[in-house]
Amino acid sequence: MDAVTKRFGGLTAVSRFSLTVGAGEIVGLIGPNGAGKTTVFHLLSGFHPPTEGAIRFKGASIVGAKPHAICRRGLARTFQIVQPFVNLTTLENVMVGAFNRTDEVAAARARAVEVLDFVGLGARRDAPARELTLPDRKRLEMARGLATRPELLLLDEVMSGLNPTEIEEIIGLIRRIHAQGVSLLIIEHVMRAIMALSQRIVVLHHGEKIAEGRPEAVARDARVIEAYLGEDA
Amino acid sequence: MACGLSLIFGVLRIINFAHGAVMMLGMYATYWLFTLGGIDPYVSIVLVGPLFFLVGMLIQRVVIEPNRFAAEHNQLLLTLGLALFLENLALVLWQGDFRTVRPRYANASFVLGEALVEVPRLVACGGAVVMALALFAFLRRTDVGKAIRALAEEPEGALLMGIDVRRIRAVAFGIGSGCVAVAGALVTPFFYVAPDVGESFNIMAFVVVVLGGMGNFVGALLGGFIVGLAESLGATLLPGSLKQLVVFALFVLVLLFRPAGLFGGGRGR
Amino acid sequence: MVAEVLGGVALGVLLIAPPFLPPYFLEILISVLLFAYLGSAWNILGGYAGQFSFGHAAYFGIGAYTSTLLFLRLGVSPWLGMVAGGCLAAAFGLGAGYLSFRYGLRGPYFSLVTLAFAEMLRVVAVNTKAVGSSLGLVIPSREAAPWSFIFGGKLPYYYVILAMALGAVWITRRLERSKLGYSLRAIRENEDAAEAAGVDALGMKLRAMALSSFLTALGGTFYAQYFAYIDPTITFGPAVSIQGLLQAIVGGAGTVLGPLVGSFVLTPISELSRAAIRGRAGVDVMVYGLVLILVISFLPNGLMGWVRRRRA
Repeated sequence: MDAVTKRFGGLTAVSRFSLTVGAGEIVGLIGPNGAGKTTVFHLLSGFHPPTEGAIRFKGASIVGAKPHAICRRGLARTFQIVQPFVNLTTLENVMVGAFNRTDEVAAARARAVEVLDFVGLGARRDAPARELTLPDRKRLEMARGLATRPELLLLDEVMSGLNPTEIEEIIGLIRRIHAQGVSLLIIEHVMRAIMALSQRIVVLHHGEKIAEGRPEAVARDARVIEAYLGEDA
Repeated sequence: MACGLSLIFGVLRIINFAHGAVMMLGMYATYWLFTLGGIDPYVSIVLVGPLFFLVGMLIQRVVIEPNRFAAEHNQLLLTLGLALFLENLALVLWQGDFRTVRPRYANASFVLGEALVEVPRLVACGGAVVMALALFAFLRRTDVGKAIRALAEEPEGALLMGIDVRRIRAVAFGIGSGCVAVAGALVTPFFYVAPDVGESFNIMAFVVVVLGGMGNFVGALLGGFIVGLAESLGATLLPGSLKQLVVFALFVLVLLFRPAGLFGGGRGR
Repeated sequence: MVAEVLGGVALGVLLIAPPFLPPYFLEILISVLLFAYLGSAWNILGGYAGQFSFGHAAYFGIGAYTSTLLFLRLGVSPWLGMVAGGCLAAAFGLGAGYLSFRYGLRGPYFSLVTLAFAEMLRVVAVNTKAVGSSLGLVIPSREAAPWSFIFGGKLPYYYVILAMALGAVWITRRLERSKLGYSLRAIRENEDAAEAAGVDALGMKLRAMALSSFLTALGGTFYAQYFAYIDPTITFGPAVSIQGLLQAIVGGAGTVLGPLVGSFVLTPISELSRAAIRGRAGVDVMVYGLVLILVISFLPNGLMGWVRRRRA
């Protein structure tokens, strides 16, 4: 993303924001509530067009492309509030993602089974999605994204609502995804998770980038601390 | 008519297909009051309005409220089912013959410049404006009215503020039904009464409401005028019943390009 | 296993019994199958893709008028006219669908627009002398002419509509197990999430629309040939639209057998109510309205939907 600005009517959600994710990187995106993080994801995945600025993926501009086209190019995302297809089974949910790369039902099913096992949902394969617990739904969301064989996966607060044990499990899963060669851009509020996972962190506040760098450096950055503290006060 | 529909949409968030059917029932009520009781249509408004307010509340309580958590398209089907039921109930009870209400002044008219103005239509128009203004005032000034507006704008907030949401929903539907029944009464001097009249009015009401913005009452009034004008213009340009095409075309165009209505303030897609 | 056996028996009965049935029952069966067929066609767009069209009469009418006009004016066999009507309807459906979907119409707004389109066609038909305006069109001559889709008795019509209904069920089944089927269901559940997972919502919905409208139009031709009379209100009016969707909703939208089951349940109900209160038109539709209200209130997924839930 390069100097991207997004305005909704009179509200500037994101202002002159630039961000780069290199191949194989894990980048964290943090900031107080309402900073514009999810808007950045909407911009990247094609749900909102930027008002100004350029967005490029693998060298080509994706501004104006529809979400499904962007997904086909290799950029997948999850949603902050999980969005499973409730009346489909877990397997069918993931198959929808797998169809991204194949037209054959059998191939899609095979890929879906593979991904479900990878994220640890293999046993719940035939359960209707509406019966899954919250942590499982989060895995399902990630599995569906993974089934599309992304090169870059955007994870939007996958840890929210999870207890510490579940958080540890998801951290492990994210590491395994990374090991498979997928680059990651992660929005997260659970600080220790994102500090542990990210190679680089970008901080967003009121739609502007206020800091960027290695996790330790960002954690000590005065502006960042003030942004978070200022919000609490 | 459209104001009532807009109100129902604003508060209950459902598109009420049965609206036209209630109007039709209002017309039948007026007819029976006139034929059996000799009550002038305009006078019977005093009876018809409150009666259908209650009927509306009853319908809401029995049919709609239990399903308020159903999917949007299912709620739409629900009102469709209601419309089918009511229209055909009328057909079964009173058969399909056209009936008319013909008070003494039915043909009264006067000349205004180049135009011939028919009194009953003028009264209906005036009545509609009066009702719309009354509704507007009611929503602004009274407690119930404010509660309705609160619920329309911010359902959760309204609940937290201690507003009896269930009652208000029923009231809103009741008001909407009462309005449309009164509209039916106003129309009887110059429009025939039959079970299927609801359908044609229904579509018109939808067009008006979408034009004015779903949930925007002033918009509904203005939308009504625009649609009426469009239809008349269409009548002068196109033969036969093709004038309806103008209205439909307008409807489709607004839905496609300005679903929030020409005057905004309504929910978009 | 039980289901398969039952299905086989039912199929057998449908195939073999009709020649032995009294004409009245045969007529009812034909109606049942026609509505089941229309319901299945609607189901593709409504049940599977989740786009509830209230104006499918538009395609029904296009099919009926196209084949009839081609037959009456140009002597083209309705068998061919059927296909022509289907293609024309699909084109119209694609156009209407593209406009609606491209501009993001969903849910009730989409339903209203489809209603508007159907009504517009009706008004045009009423006002166009060339297609007979409100007087409609009559298909003359009841001498059997099989190549012109005119049969002497009801039995051949029965087998035609049976084939069509079974065909529609088969198509639905194939659809359910295909990539298109999965994509449509995902769109129905959550269009945004589907897009994010790589589903081309617009393209898929248009495909469903084309298929649905094509099939519905074929039904229109059948109607024209069977009843030998069509007019704007019968073909483009809301009655047809509602009939189609009613079977699917009551039977279970989004299921393969839903519309079939729905029709087998609803049509007898309508016949019974008409017989019970003789001489009063509208009883059957009144009952339909009541059934719709009850089904939405207590069995929102329809009969087959309820069965599916019980099994799972």
